[in-house]
Amino acid sequence: MSEVNTKTYYYIGFALLGLGLLVFYKTYNPEVHSYFPKCPFLSLTGLQCPGCGSQRAVHHLLNGHFVNAFKQNALLLLAMPYVLLGLFLEFKKPLSKKLLNIRKRFFGSTAIWCILGIIFTFWIFRNLTF
Amino acid sequence: MNTINNQNPPKSWLVESILATIFCCLPFGIAGIVNAAKVESKFAQGDLEGAERASANAKKWTLISAALGVLVVVLAFIGTMLGFVGS
Repeated sequence: MSEVNTKTYYYIGFALLGLGLLVFYKTYNPEVHSYFPKCPFLSLTGLQCPGCGSQRAVHHLLNGHFVNAFKQNALLLLAMPYVLLGLFLEFKKPLSKKLLNIRKRFFGSTAIWCILGIIFTFWIFRNLTF
Repeated sequence: MNTINNQNPPKSWLVESILATIFCCLPFGIAGIVNAAKVESKFAQGDLEGAERASANAKKWTLISAALGVLVVVLAFIGTMLGFVGS
């Protein structure tokens, strides 16, 4: 009984925290306000990491500005559909044979190494071009 | 019944690791993604125990990233409010 209650409190806590963060990121533009953490990699090296611009991208996404979000972090926007499909496959249980096949193809080990490749390619290329 | 094809693989934490990579902690996120790949390859080879171990590892890195990410955002906010960082 008490375990159920503790778990419920955790969920409520996380939900409130998540909601607070969403409102925070929607309201304030990280480019204008200084409440936001800076990327340590960018500060140290002057180079952008694959995650740089994701706070700005989230701000633009939450306000419906997809083009601006894409400009700030293209990887984030491109990853969205993939992440949503992945979450669906993760939480739908049990998976039918067809869904298991999809999972194997797009979320199997080969696919994951490809994703790592994409992340590193993005990392290099975003520092080469403007 | 016992064939691998009919079983659901253990949670690979791939999606969470990708989010960690993009949003907060590149090294930990990458560690999570590598472990996700290990989960899948070991499961495909029939090494269920190894897959479970890689899954636990991936979970560890994802949770470290998530906790660190939220902590840094909250600390940066409080720091700015108190005037320690930024202007």
